[in-house]
Amino acid sequence: MVVTQITKETIGNSKVLVVGAGGIGCEVLKNLALSGFKDIEIIDLDTIDVSNLNRQFLFRKEHVGKPKAVVARESILNYNPDIQIKAYHDSITSQDYGLNFFKKFNIVLNALDNRAARNHVNRMCLAADVPLIESGTSGYSGQVELIKKGVTQCYECQPKPPQRTFPGCTIRNTPSEPVHCIVWAKHLFNQLFGEEDPDQDVSPDTEDPEAKVEGQAHSATNAGNIQRTSTRRWVQDIKYNPSQLFNKFFKEDIEYLLKMENLWKTRKPPVPLSWEQAASHEGDSVEEENNVRMQDMKVWPLSKCAKVFASTIDVLKNEVSEDKFLVWDKDDKPAMDFVTACANIRAHIFSIATKSRFEIKSIAGNIIPAIATANAMIAGLVVLHAFRVLLQEFEKCPSIYLRQKSVHSKFILAADKQITAANPKCYVCSPKPFVNVFVNTNSMTVKEFETEVLKKGLNMIAPDVVLDGRGMVVISSEEGETEINNDKKLAEIGIVEGSILKCDDFLQNYELSVAVNQYEAKEKDDPLYKIVANPDDLKAKESVNGGEKNGNEEEKQAESDQDDLMVVEESDDPQEGSSKRRKLNPIEDNDDDLCIIDS
Amino acid sequence: MAEKQLSAVEAELYDRQIRLWGIESQEKLRAANVLLINIRALGSEIAKNILLSGINSLTILDDGTVTEEEQQKNFLLNKGSVGNPIADEVLIKAQALNPLVKIKVDKQPPSSKDSSYFKNFTIIVATCIKTDLLLKIDKVCRSSNVKLIYGDVFGTFGFSVADFLDHNYHEDQIKLAGKKRTHGEKDHEKTTIKVQGVINYPELKKVLILPNTKQSADSIKKSKRRNELFYIMLALMEFRNKNNRNPAIESKEGDLKTLETIKADIFQLYEVDELKTKLPADIFELVFGEEVVPVCSVVGGVIAQEVIKAVSEKEVPVNNIFLFDPITFDGKEEAIGA
Repeated sequence: MVVTQITKETIGNSKVLVVGAGGIGCEVLKNLALSGFKDIEIIDLDTIDVSNLNRQFLFRKEHVGKPKAVVARESILNYNPDIQIKAYHDSITSQDYGLNFFKKFNIVLNALDNRAARNHVNRMCLAADVPLIESGTSGYSGQVELIKKGVTQCYECQPKPPQRTFPGCTIRNTPSEPVHCIVWAKHLFNQLFGEEDPDQDVSPDTEDPEAKVEGQAHSATNAGNIQRTSTRRWVQDIKYNPSQLFNKFFKEDIEYLLKMENLWKTRKPPVPLSWEQAASHEGDSVEEENNVRMQDMKVWPLSKCAKVFASTIDVLKNEVSEDKFLVWDKDDKPAMDFVTACANIRAHIFSIATKSRFEIKSIAGNIIPAIATANAMIAGLVVLHAFRVLLQEFEKCPSIYLRQKSVHSKFILAADKQITAANPKCYVCSPKPFVNVFVNTNSMTVKEFETEVLKKGLNMIAPDVVLDGRGMVVISSEEGETEINNDKKLAEIGIVEGSILKCDDFLQNYELSVAVNQYEAKEKDDPLYKIVANPDDLKAKESVNGGEKNGNEEEKQAESDQDDLMVVEESDDPQEGSSKRRKLNPIEDNDDDLCIIDS
Repeated sequence: MAEKQLSAVEAELYDRQIRLWGIESQEKLRAANVLLINIRALGSEIAKNILLSGINSLTILDDGTVTEEEQQKNFLLNKGSVGNPIADEVLIKAQALNPLVKIKVDKQPPSSKDSSYFKNFTIIVATCIKTDLLLKIDKVCRSSNVKLIYGDVFGTFGFSVADFLDHNYHEDQIKLAGKKRTHGEKDHEKTTIKVQGVINYPELKKVLILPNTKQSADSIKKSKRRNELFYIMLALMEFRNKNNRNPAIESKEGDLKTLETIKADIFQLYEVDELKTKLPADIFELVFGEEVVPVCSVVGGVIAQEVIKAVSEKEVPVNNIFLFDPITFDGKEEAIGA
């Protein structure tokens, strides 16, 4: 490719949308501005954080707290005031950015940090028939991919690995890894100070199928569960007394767990820990040092965990009130300290490795490491591809992967030999999108189906759903039309095995036929529902014993050993876009998990 | 450098990279003094990336003046910079990238510097320089234990050449011991092992062998599966050595002939059968014109990452040559002269 006069003219006349002004976004904007692009729009809903400044070089310390899109625009204008650049401090999934918005552009460049937004832009670009260049980095690795309707595969052609989730009883009863204790500690934070969520119970789970004794419906009484329904009331009654709280969660609840004997037949039983024992734990006379390594990098001794448990509760209890609850944030010091202390105390009780505050922050905040160099490389490739796309040279834009090291192949940047064709069974970009959904129609409500399956699982924004054959509208995006159905079970309104639902998302200009399959979760690890684009995948999946979480974990590990596996980060810094605003639990719900694509 | 250990401010600023390369690497970066020779389009990218990484000091050595073309592809400059010394003009924006790094500028010609000047750095990064000066600096570097990396971008083509001496490094490998538990739960015991390695970089005079030099090219010729872009790299370096400038669109016809002649000499030296090469006949079409900015972004990213690896002694560096393919956009490493 030569940057000829034609290329320059094409560039000068093109209108480009950059979605995301983070690590890759800043680099892309700089490359565009220096390459002669004169009409740029940039959208990002995030504000600037100190931890962005090591790579998001359009921002400086004095910009912390300001909207990324707005500051990025100012920085680019400061370099070249002649560029037309429009900034939106907003979410790209908002209804304000419909088909006509996308149709304005010659090309869209994604520099996003989460899968939901990527899926959405993918659909908008398919609907508007605008070429999209998708990119991402994770640590030293990254990738660039062109998505063009009718030419290449789309972002959703290949199923992505599911999020890593943990069964409730592993968290509540039988943790075996540090991450289980960290999830539990975050749940405890929410129980004490956050919005109460029944799915985040921290007390012993008496429904654990493992704890059942044969011939007996329940091994223990339901007392544990019932008692805990009023956790918040009880906590307020004892005025957040730290020693009482400590003894409740780390001594009495553990003693209760020990009574569920079946759990400990093959496991090492936990050891209850009282406030007095913890506070005076021996071998802990480490002097407080005021440097980073000591505070953050070293594992706190048990007595310090107990001390921090008490002191953070004293701070946090004053922030919470009858009508105000706290949202856990890794960058809020007492909140992060509280989780560090609780995770380590629980780990100690269950003989699990304890971790430093620094390490726990990575896991609890789902932090993906990010560096300027990888972003610069990927952003350079994005704009090189953009040149070719604007010249309609789509075939010359196969995906390119940045590797941490080349191992035997010599490739640091490895381009595919050719573009990848669309998956004919893709439930997004095929001519007649179709997908199989496996749900329990007798227990799932219509509202759950809308929120969990259609919105979270299939990434629709505002679906309208018609039950095929009967022509009945079961879910409407218009307010006040179908709320009456919300609490009904699917089967009650006639959605059963074999039903076909015509789901239409007006914003995404996306119509999907959903075939309903009856499915009942059997194992405790089984998901609430399954989405299967290609029925053949089902058979393959079953042979992997359904342990999707473990499978995913193994893939992640394999990546460090195999040269041909590629980790593709969804993101440069996912938690910044999600945990604060959407109050997601990053570990369990965050859609920004690593996904692995075989190059 | 005031303190050896990282302050809380630095820990917060560099958090996302410390999570990747560890606090020891960050402390080594914090102690590093880097010399950057020439800060043009590629140089500005390298400067940005290594300033952001948090080194101790950056010295910018460039005796050039800002031209209009230069201003258009260097984001450290602005319209008012034209006509002024580049080294002065980049300072404000370079410093804004990271106020914690000490930046010095030097407007003297690199060729005027004597050996002792180059000894003061942890690593030297050179761009846009002639081969004889590069080899001279490499000689000083080798006698003073200073690492060196050189790179250039011509049009859409870019490359780098490194001499990291006898480079010791380590990398972390995660080992898993998964023991099956009941009910399919797996208990992963992850252990991280530090794996040590060493790469012995050959001195550059044994790597960059051009026609009409005394050095024998025998050891390089032997390789069968050579990335042929290596010869294009040498041809471009030789073009600049002879003409004191890069190939230019204004003199394209003549420059193409010169390049073809140089290429023929290089093929002869390395005993390459032109008919058997896979290089496209019009490969030199891609090297004309100014440095393509996104290519500087890619190659500048690669070079800065190698600087970080060289300084931190963490992760395997690429072998001494990196070549960015202007057609496929592959980026491949090559070990030459070792």
